[in-house]
Amino acid sequence: MNSTEDHKIIEGIVKGDEVIIKAFYKNNLQYIRSYVIKNSGNEEDVEDVFQDALVVLYQKFKYESVNMSASLRTYFYAICKNIWRNRLRKNSKILLDEEVIEASEPIDNEIIDSINNKEREHLYRKYFLMLDSACKEILNLVFEGNSMKKISTITGYSEGYTRKKKFNCKRSLIEMIEKDSLYQELVINPEKEKKHE
Amino acid sequence: MNRTQEIFEKIEEYLNKTLSGEELENFEKELLINVELQKEVEKHRSLHRVLSDKETLVFKEKVKRIGDEIKKEKTTPVINIFSTYFKIAASIIVILGLGTLLWNNFMGGNKAEDLYLAYYEPYPVEDVTRGEVVNESRVITDMYSRKEYSKAIPEFKKLIEFSVDEQYIIYLGNCFLNVNKEKQAIQEFEKITSNSRYFEDAQWYLALTYIKLSNTKKAKNILAKIIQYDGVYKKVAVNLNSELPE
Repeated sequence: MNSTEDHKIIEGIVKGDEVIIKAFYKNNLQYIRSYVIKNSGNEEDVEDVFQDALVVLYQKFKYESVNMSASLRTYFYAICKNIWRNRLRKNSKILLDEEVIEASEPIDNEIIDSINNKEREHLYRKYFLMLDSACKEILNLVFEGNSMKKISTITGYSEGYTRKKKFNCKRSLIEMIEKDSLYQELVINPEKEKKHE
Repeated sequence: MNRTQEIFEKIEEYLNKTLSGEELENFEKELLINVELQKEVEKHRSLHRVLSDKETLVFKEKVKRIGDEIKKEKTTPVINIFSTYFKIAASIIVILGLGTLLWNNFMGGNKAEDLYLAYYEPYPVEDVTRGEVVNESRVITDMYSRKEYSKAIPEFKKLIEFSVDEQYIIYLGNCFLNVNKEKQAIQEFEKITSNSRYFEDAQWYLALTYIKLSNTKKAKNILAKIIQYDGVYKKVAVNLNSELPE
């Protein structure tokens, strides 16, 4: 890892410091936007790639020890570019900008593996966050391992209603995910998924 | 696979290891021969694994919110409220009788706007695959999921003409909301009456529309109704109401 500045940013990202994350977002978005747009992407792709790369970065620094030989910015750009190259490959789109990422922006094989393995995870989170607040609350309680009885006590709904609501929310979530073209590609070309524990 | 509440619950019990005896035996037998069920179990397993990592989920939510804020900052022109231009423009509009709305926008609007951004999520796509309009409705709701709101508006209008599903009205209202046609959004949300199962959803989006317009008084009235209704939006309505300026 290089500078004290990088240290501060990484610490801020791991702690979820909004000021630091926002500054990092603003300072680096334009570069990634140019790259993605130049290579067959649109604004939504830019947003997805940038945010998913930030999540990869967060998980890397939070759960694993990372040996960075380059600056944080270089490392982050490499993650973004690899995510986008991966998605283009899956969608059989053409990569116009054929610059060799590995040569200019060193990135270890381990992170390339984890990018490949986390595509489904990004989709799950993306669509989960698109659910309404009531669905998010119930499913969060389910994923925390609470019983239906406990969830109905917390939410104040009857147990029967809670079960029905949970089913509807979960079914919507799965259906939204399945409709995503990237998910369909992942099903055709399944990948091994990896835990970050 | 035909997804039912019963199948979901069975899968969850299996994954939570709370299935036992004959039930477990039968489920495992079925699992051995039923490929669709195997796939479904795997979907549930990975969904639970990923989404139970609350810390990453909270981080992703934060990043998404920050991204939305940055986007908003970029698209909102900075107006110097003391500039001569502003004063002239404001005076003309006040004379024309639209003053209240504009003043609300600048005097109390920022807070309301922030709250709108913090609380607004597009109405999720669900329960729209019933009946004879299945294929057509899927194409349209896909458009909506891809945030192609302008394109989806005429399609939802057509769909509403021959479908009894009131959920499409909420989607249409959300489309209007996202292309800054709040008046039309209000008209749609108000079409859903109190005996509809979507009444609470419609009221929630109606309240958000008024917040977007900085009409906090109207929004508060609707939120009070939602709180009194005591349904799924109660908790979030209480929170939003407490954050709205008087």
